[in-house]
Amino acid sequence: MKKSIESIWKEGFLSNDELVAPKINDLYNQKSSHIIDKFKMMFNRNLKIVIIVGILFFIISFLVGVPIIGGFMLILLTWVVYVGIKIINELENIDKGNSSYLYLKSFHDWLKSAINTYAKIYRFIYPLFFLAFMAGFWFANLSKGLRDQIINDPDTVLVFGIPVYWVAPILLFAGLFSIFSYKIYLLDIKAVYGSLMNKLEELISDMESLIETEQE
Amino acid sequence: MSKDFYQTSILPYAAIIIKLCRAYTNTQEDYEDYYQEVCLQIWRSRKNFRNQSEWSTWVYRVSLNVCMTLLKKKKNKYQHFATDYLPVANTEESGAFTDEALNQLYDAIRQLSEIDRAVITLYLEEKAYQEIAIIIGTNPNNIGVRIKRIKERLKKILDEKVN
Repeated sequence: MKKSIESIWKEGFLSNDELVAPKINDLYNQKSSHIIDKFKMMFNRNLKIVIIVGILFFIISFLVGVPIIGGFMLILLTWVVYVGIKIINELENIDKGNSSYLYLKSFHDWLKSAINTYAKIYRFIYPLFFLAFMAGFWFANLSKGLRDQIINDPDTVLVFGIPVYWVAPILLFAGLFSIFSYKIYLLDIKAVYGSLMNKLEELISDMESLIETEQE
Repeated sequence: MSKDFYQTSILPYAAIIIKLCRAYTNTQEDYEDYYQEVCLQIWRSRKNFRNQSEWSTWVYRVSLNVCMTLLKKKKNKYQHFATDYLPVANTEESGAFTDEALNQLYDAIRQLSEIDRAVITLYLEEKAYQEIAIIIGTNPNNIGVRIKRIKERLKKILDEKVN
């Protein structure tokens, strides 16, 4: 290599006037393709869906005669929305004008925290939602015939009016739901965001090697 | 909303953004996307600029941070940067991209890790080690050692190309 890289660079860009910037189309109204902005859009969209689903369940619960259970479901989903809003707000703390190390670290920490928080919530939300759904089905006006049939069956074992052999597998399923939904959620997240997490960790590790003392 | 923002606060520093975006992209399409996204993020993050540094330093930081965390779109694997494939507009309007040695240097830079690309680009832009450390958020004492290693690596890559 005859020329130094410094002279290659300098001569290659003889004058900054020769550098032509690509055309920008409607910069101020552009939709961002940056990962952080995509997260914000995705979270906001999902929260709106959750609110709509919660309201729908609440309305339906009134129609079938189980408003308390509908109210409980709405409270559960409101909790999900509340946590989601807190998570999105933390994204605002990630300043792209920070040093690269701080920026990457804060983004990585946010992503990890968001994943862990949702994993913990879904561990409770899924089984509780399932149980509420089953309870709603049991106590709904439409299920009166089935309810009477089961309760009046002489083979049914009742404890405080609850058919034990019907409820036990539902409770067991809810427990398994809790364990597996947590694992399935983490696997799902890893499939979607695993490469991003790995990339961030590699970048941070490389930067930390620059922070520690290097030997010549 | 100031329509002049691009003209007054981004265009004068376009050279910085262009040089950084080229270090992080392999295709013309990606390069244009990255440039656009960096400009957009500078516009959106402008309220976070608190005059604790020069505006140019802040532009470097935003540009680097965006380039390092922008997910590339899936693209046609046959598209790539090579002098043979440079768009006519670039070859005619921008002397910089017709320089074969510079293109080869960029090819070599793109083989470095993302942090090393940042370090060497800032070094080649004649930024002091202290400033490089501030932009990246690292120890300035180690920048010199890292630059030496990067230059050796680049020299090796470029020599291999020549041979």
